[in-house]
Amino acid sequence: MNRFEYIRPRSVAEAVAAAAIPGSAYLAAGTNLLDLMKIGVARPGRLIDLNHLPGLDAIETLPGGAVRIGAQVRNAELAHDPEFARRFPAVAEALLSGASAQLRNAATVGGNLMQRTRCAWFQDTASACNRREPGTGCDALGGENRMHAVLGWSEHCIATHPSDFCVPLVALDAVVEIEGAGGRRDIPLADFHLLPGTTPERESVLAPGELVIAVRLPAEAAGFAAHARYAKLRERTSYAFAVVSAAAGLRIANGRIVEARLALGGVAAKPWRAEAAEASLAGAAPDADAFRRAAEIAMAEAKPSGDNAFKIELARRIAIRALTQAAAGTPDRLPALPASSFASNAGAPNMGGLHV
Amino acid sequence: MILTVNGADTRCDVAPGARLSAVLRDTLCLTGTKVGCDAGDCGACTVLLDGAQVCACLVPAAQAEGHAIRTVESLAADPLGAALQAAFLHHGAAQCGICTPGMLMAAMALLARDTTPSEAAARAAIGGVLCRCTGYTKIVDAIRDAHRFHNAPPSEEGGVGARLPRLDGVAKIAGLDRFGADEAPPGALWLRPVRSPHAHARFELGDTAALAARGIRLLTARDVPGANSFGIYPDIKDQPVFCDGYVRYRGDCIGALLGPRAAVEAVRFAELPIAWTPLPPVDMAAARLPGAPVLHLFRPDNVLSTGRLACARDAPEEAHVAEGLFETGFVEHAYIEPEAGHAERIGDTISVFACTQAPYMDREEVARVLGIAQDEVRIIPSACGGGFGGKLDVSIQPMIAVAAWITGKPVRAVWTRGESMASSTKRHPARIRARAACAADGRLVRFEFEGDFDTGAYASWGPTVAGRVPVHACGPYRVPHVSAVARAIYTTNPPSGAFRGFGVPQAAIAQEALYDALADRCGMDRLEFRALNALRAGDTTATGQTIAHSAGLPACLDALRPHWAALRAEAAAFNATPGPIRRGTGIACMWYGIGNTGMSNPSTMRITLAPDGTLTFFNGAVDIGQGSTTVLTQIAAEALGLPPAAFTLVLGDTTLTADAGKTSASRQTFVSGRAAQDAAIALRAAILRLTNAGEGARLSLEDGVLRIDGAPVPIPETLEGVGRFDPPTVPLDAEGQGIPYATYGFAAQIASLDVDTQLGTVTLRRIVAAHDVGRAVNPTLVEGQIHGGIAQGIGLALMEEYLPGRTENLHDYLIPTAGDVPPIDIILIEEPEPLGPFGAKGIGEPALVPTAPAILSAIHDATGARLHRVPALPHRVLEAMR
Repeated sequence: MNRFEYIRPRSVAEAVAAAAIPGSAYLAAGTNLLDLMKIGVARPGRLIDLNHLPGLDAIETLPGGAVRIGAQVRNAELAHDPEFARRFPAVAEALLSGASAQLRNAATVGGNLMQRTRCAWFQDTASACNRREPGTGCDALGGENRMHAVLGWSEHCIATHPSDFCVPLVALDAVVEIEGAGGRRDIPLADFHLLPGTTPERESVLAPGELVIAVRLPAEAAGFAAHARYAKLRERTSYAFAVVSAAAGLRIANGRIVEARLALGGVAAKPWRAEAAEASLAGAAPDADAFRRAAEIAMAEAKPSGDNAFKIELARRIAIRALTQAAAGTPDRLPALPASSFASNAGAPNMGGLHV
Repeated sequence: MILTVNGADTRCDVAPGARLSAVLRDTLCLTGTKVGCDAGDCGACTVLLDGAQVCACLVPAAQAEGHAIRTVESLAADPLGAALQAAFLHHGAAQCGICTPGMLMAAMALLARDTTPSEAAARAAIGGVLCRCTGYTKIVDAIRDAHRFHNAPPSEEGGVGARLPRLDGVAKIAGLDRFGADEAPPGALWLRPVRSPHAHARFELGDTAALAARGIRLLTARDVPGANSFGIYPDIKDQPVFCDGYVRYRGDCIGALLGPRAAVEAVRFAELPIAWTPLPPVDMAAARLPGAPVLHLFRPDNVLSTGRLACARDAPEEAHVAEGLFETGFVEHAYIEPEAGHAERIGDTISVFACTQAPYMDREEVARVLGIAQDEVRIIPSACGGGFGGKLDVSIQPMIAVAAWITGKPVRAVWTRGESMASSTKRHPARIRARAACAADGRLVRFEFEGDFDTGAYASWGPTVAGRVPVHACGPYRVPHVSAVARAIYTTNPPSGAFRGFGVPQAAIAQEALYDALADRCGMDRLEFRALNALRAGDTTATGQTIAHSAGLPACLDALRPHWAALRAEAAAFNATPGPIRRGTGIACMWYGIGNTGMSNPSTMRITLAPDGTLTFFNGAVDIGQGSTTVLTQIAAEALGLPPAAFTLVLGDTTLTADAGKTSASRQTFVSGRAAQDAAIALRAAILRLTNAGEGARLSLEDGVLRIDGAPVPIPETLEGVGRFDPPTVPLDAEGQGIPYATYGFAAQIASLDVDTQLGTVTLRRIVAAHDVGRAVNPTLVEGQIHGGIAQGIGLALMEEYLPGRTENLHDYLIPTAGDVPPIDIILIEEPEPLGPFGAKGIGEPALVPTAPAILSAIHDATGARLHRVPALPHRVLEAMR
């Protein structure tokens, strides 16, 4: 690891000011950054530790029912907050399906949004990677790339965003609060991460020095609580990134879907909101046909970026699974293996057998 | 800064961004916290921060300030911690012990809020701590049982057959065992290898003056004082310590940076003066093409080694045929302890402390590269944090020895996880074509096998795989016509070497799939098909060897039959209701020759009784977690007639102990066990001669006083018993005929699982394993081997796929977590092997071999889909179902 300066600001303003110097990086829990520094992918000259900033570690319910989650709230703390889990169960399920207990205890909400892709070429400094070093090319194209993007990719980059948490957040219209030298601004999470296009090195709309200080979920997001699930396909039961994942939320009245939310993970450089699929569900009966149709629509634009054509079908299926589970109703308690298709009787129409 | 560690405030002069794991280990000398990956992937460094489990490797030290940090060192003084440790010891929850501190701390976080957790809660709590040895079963048992171990009495005693807690276990549960990275001489220089980022390339080194100015020396091929080559086989020393202008795989070592640690670690790869000329990589297909690049001049066709077997006997007529092509990929050992150790030159001798499975082979290699005599080399094995075959080859030893030798300064090295995975040997990828035929009544007639094994850039154990596979290819069955060819082929991939089974697990996947197909074609039950054809005592194998004793496969299948029927019935009942989840039951058998293939592999054990009553067991066998230290002591104790606690142990140090051979080929219980038994018998005879006591005399040894039948007997001089055993074998001839092994392990396993036919995921429900071990010297340890072997078999079947350059970490390379290993029922069959100690054979590798084929058999049973390539990742399962 290279040498770096370490700064511990006492306020957000101080942090933002400190970050104005080029080569600075914010340090939340460091669960991703320390690793990237060790393997030489991230080489900040200054680390600005966010851990002593006041006011970033609260989960607040705002007047009107929106919830504001400070950027320094730990993943486990949020997932285990009873009120939060009751109102936004798919978010809690996604959080608990990610990483390991150790990482969830440390990793922060803001850090989750800011985590970098797990693309093996991005992490291998001996490879060409436009995201890591603009203009060098993309060795992932044509390589072993079954985990790579099938939506929104470009010839410049086919990496995916690894977050579970962001998938239900984007489905539920989360808003990111940002503070920078120019003051505070709000950005919908759907617009926060950028698709690679010709500038894959630009991963989010954050300007240099800008800091994520909170994530807000609107009050309406809680309206899906009775029918909200996160489903994640991974290659072992726990502690594995999603091959594909889906967050689904339904508002159902009189046997009809009033409003649907659907987002996919593991398919693109950002959490992928499937708005056309959502629209197709409005007014439909919550049944297999409607879910199949929605999944088709969600993946209509998908194309393989290599040897990952299978992901398109898997993404449809995980979307159907999440919608089916959501329609069956959110369980009273989170499953022992949140979002897992490995749990016993997973996929059965009634997920009742899953509860612990 | 001030850190609060285990209740005490400690001032630490460290950088604020330093990893907490490094501060604990390097600054505070609390080396109980282990580092397995430095990336939050393995959980070995799990500590408690304000009671919550975190990976210390990902906690910047400054962020731990003001919080209560708890490490494994604090447990013994805490009643709950002590109870958990006692439960771990009792249940055999620690094998190699490298994950144990992390497991204990993860469990403590759970037990602090729930002292009697459910199994699901226990598995969830340790979901982020990887264990490669135990299969997690005994760890979960220990966590759930910890509440019963408050003020538990000390461990019980026992000879052969007793569940004696492992003798090296107390150090492991306390975090006090010394692994390769846990110590170094003061002032040791830090060595960091420089590895090729290209699979195949030429290179030139430029001017190193800039490095020298930073106090760093770049060691290269020119610095190797002796032969710049090593390798397992005496006649195939094909791997350079430092490459000389040409690299054959990504990870090949071209040199090493040597200097103060901080300076060495600060060097960026891009700063190194290396000019590369990449060459096209060579895979197995390319290696066999006419005009292919010759990777090693002495093998112009790139075929390192070929093993053959041909036998033809009277046989019934063929009625049914099954054939197929099966492929497996690289599998990484993924021991949680990366290679580590240190070397020190003492006059004209060198001492190397490192993790290893084969200290005597290491001694030969180190002597060779230094150009000195073997008796000038001392190898001191560290505690070995998992091996599974991967620490049979030298790794750091030649490099640190060269560095220490030429500088005269102590040198240490600790591979990073990425380096370990890039440079260490792998399980051979296999491409197998096989064809099997049986008569109308199901009796096997013929088995044809042709397997190409990717041995990678260097020979390592490739010839062993080529030699062992043909013998085992047709499985543990009576097959009158067998023709088998296995080739080890050089490529520009990482070197494949020894990995629990030496190619047999790959071959078993092909063989058992074809036997399933034949059973189906005959309309026979899959278990009964195997029972009909199973080798029995008195049968002659395809190599012409008559197995006179200890062929327990029929007994294994008999024991499994009721489980098979019950699990099949359960599956049928479940599948009667339509749905996306389909349940399947699969079965597979295996045999495994114990010890080297048709080659001498002796072991010598020595026990002495000094006049002061000190009873010393000189045991050169390396315990890599499997438990040989305990098992061999139990054998010696039983044969001598004194309890295991009476022994003082002197373990695997090449200057103090005799050569026990390597810890591989499932041989230590059988070979070294027999040597230990003979040593004990010899010592007992010497003791009895003191009073001309009869054979059945009762010995005791308390407070240094030897008693024979209750009467104190002075010991006039040091008495000694030496045992040497070399299993009798006959080398295989050109047709593969001979007696390759003195004895074989046999086993059959059943897998019950659910396949999600929409998503392609496989959920294991249960594994039932019946193993003929000859005699279970320590049933707890035998079970531990079976659990761990099954977990690795699960990985092979369902998730493990190493891609060079792409999966050199433990979040892209997935090994089973606690949640991936289902309940395992073990049935121990004991058909004694007369040559073995008290009838015992081996279990290390047999445990793994049948698991993957049983799982694939069950997936087929559930879905009708036959996987021809492992791992059976979800997308491959779905593809096979189409």
